[in-house]
Amino acid sequence: MNVLQAKELAVGYDSRTVVGGINLEALKGQFICLLGPNGSGKSTILRCLAGLLAPLQGSVFLKGNLLYRMEPKELSRTMAVVLTERLSPGLITVFDVAAMGRYPYTDFFGRLSGEDIQKTWEALCLVNAHDLAERYFDELSDGEKQKVLLARALVQEPEVIILDEPTSHLDVKHRLEVMKILRQLTKEKGITVILSLHEIDLALKSCETALLVKNGRILTYGAPEEILSEEMVAELYDIESANFSNYLGGIELRNSGGTRVYVLAGAGSGAPVYRLLNKFNFSVITGVIHENDIDYHVGKALGATVISEKPFEEISAASLNKAVILGQQADCVIDAGCPIGSLNRRNVEIIKQLLARDKIIYCLRSKQEARRLYGADDARLKYFPTIVAMVEKLNARGR
Amino acid sequence: MIKFHIGRTGKILLLFVLFGLLLILFVILSIVYGSVQIPLQDLVNVLLRHGENIVYNKVVWDIRFPRALASVLGGAALAVSGLLLQIFFRNPIVDSYVLGVSSGATLIVAVLMLTGFTLGIGTIPSYLLSAGALVGALAVVLLIVAISCKVKQVVTLLVIGLMIGYICSAVSSILVAFAEKENLHNFVLWTLGSFSGFGWDEVIIQAIAGGVLMVIAYLFCKSLNALLLGENYARSMGVNIRILRIFIVLISSALAALVTAFAGPVAFIGLAAPHLARLTLGTSDNKILIPATIILGALITTLCDFLARITFSPVELPISAVSSLIGAPIVIVLLMKRRTSL
Repeated sequence: MNVLQAKELAVGYDSRTVVGGINLEALKGQFICLLGPNGSGKSTILRCLAGLLAPLQGSVFLKGNLLYRMEPKELSRTMAVVLTERLSPGLITVFDVAAMGRYPYTDFFGRLSGEDIQKTWEALCLVNAHDLAERYFDELSDGEKQKVLLARALVQEPEVIILDEPTSHLDVKHRLEVMKILRQLTKEKGITVILSLHEIDLALKSCETALLVKNGRILTYGAPEEILSEEMVAELYDIESANFSNYLGGIELRNSGGTRVYVLAGAGSGAPVYRLLNKFNFSVITGVIHENDIDYHVGKALGATVISEKPFEEISAASLNKAVILGQQADCVIDAGCPIGSLNRRNVEIIKQLLARDKIIYCLRSKQEARRLYGADDARLKYFPTIVAMVEKLNARGR
Repeated sequence: MIKFHIGRTGKILLLFVLFGLLLILFVILSIVYGSVQIPLQDLVNVLLRHGENIVYNKVVWDIRFPRALASVLGGAALAVSGLLLQIFFRNPIVDSYVLGVSSGATLIVAVLMLTGFTLGIGTIPSYLLSAGALVGALAVVLLIVAISCKVKQVVTLLVIGLMIGYICSAVSSILVAFAEKENLHNFVLWTLGSFSGFGWDEVIIQAIAGGVLMVIAYLFCKSLNALLLGENYARSMGVNIRILRIFIVLISSALAALVTAFAGPVAFIGLAAPHLARLTLGTSDNKILIPATIILGALITTLCDFLARITFSPVELPISAVSSLIGAPIVIVLLMKRRTSL
């Protein structure tokens, strides 16, 4: 049975609809995430689902009851929120902030019973904030505050928690910590979590269902593995200067393209080289790389020209020729020092042929290895100990 | 952990006792000192109605005792009013008059005092002034309550309150420009506030009305605490924000109106007393803060009234001047010692 359900919901302010046609069904223990650009209406939807904003059309049901007909006390025992607004409650300790979540359970004067105190401690321990209990809330860092507000929501003992961008302004450690706690809540306590996120990778890696919001409507709705394709992400955020890779679970930036650099890579040796070159606005050509190689996905995502071969196939003569031609045309050739095995051994041919055509090769291998692979010692092989040193040299040459 | 808890509650209790004792001390001081000094022994006799000295009896029972009680009650009322509005607007520089209560009262008083002659009234009796001030203050309160039901943002209400204040002040200042010199002097003195001339009738009205309002304010401390986290969180925990808003505006303004009606606008108490209570007790928990603010408001006002009376006796200083001169530096020092915001 669903815990929270939205039917043909339209949300907005006064008569201005921000997002319409929302149909959503949240099951017990489900982890649902709203993705979308700034201003797309994620917060407005969440505020409406939380009962803080009346819907313009349609309705929201919480455990089968119409949300806006529910008694405030009953509602607050079933659903809790964590909002984006910055709080400065004054001289209130962390424990007292968390304990405020007991509001729907305490007596007329808000006195805490033994059970209330115990529940508050449990929640603070769960979010690893028990050490902060005696500090003033205002003195905490953003990450600590967010954990305490999450504890406050838990203290309400809700079945649904709605969080508006809980990871904004947090560093990596706190961001991961908050997401870990939320996942734990859904799996261990069966709490339904609905949140909005800005990090696509976090959504991909933690949520069961994603809701993509753009231009006043829901673009699509489903498992992030299925719906978060490169094209969908690019459309969602109108990204032109970057690519999202479903395999990598992240974004790679693209550049406008400048001096062409050919990179011989594979088995991950290329990824850092591509990224660095990309940063300095070189346009990258790379190959021959197998389609099951990490370098293939990174290269593709950041917009490099990738000469590729089918997985586990030997490099074909056609691919080899193409690589040699593109390498010849490039302003510069880099050997990223990829391992050479039986399936990609023909890559050695590329460098040999380019050397034969008087190309200078910037090499990240040791001298012995290069000598072993390419035969004779060659003055046109320039050795660099690190990628950074090499790119500095390239930059100096460019000027 | 538990030790820490006891330490904190212990400190709070100790401060409450200290403030209480200070309040009693200041009340006694203001009864004893003045142009006629009353020895302590005689004071006891007078208070127990055993005194034979007619002068002492009259000074204590007719003048100083009601005045001291009036400053205790007035100070407490203004302080609670200020506290409620500071929570409501989540703004530390708000005081009891921010919604224009004092300006409304001042306007009516200005009409009465400055145009009294033209209206054919000779000297204006003080009850008429009080009634006028109360009418002016309550009119503004009702206007604000009506507006508060319409506006969504609390800050809007704050700005509207300030604007109403400006309008009232503007009209008052026009009346001032046309006023006669003698009336003007009295009017200016009224606007600076004073607890002199309080009789028992006024004290009883203040005690009953103020007492009831302050008790009601305390009954709402659970919702007021939830409001510390902001309106949205409060609502998500089951607080009825609409009712709470109207309640806060109504109670805080009624408290301020009550004091202004009899004593005129007394500055700074509503701003300073809540801060002093928060900073000395180190908490924003309203269960503790409301009683603490009541005692501190009473204490500061009694002290200030006492100083206003005796410092340059027989000239009496305006109480607003004394309260600002003493209160402001204390608030500044306490604020500088704190790391966190308010």
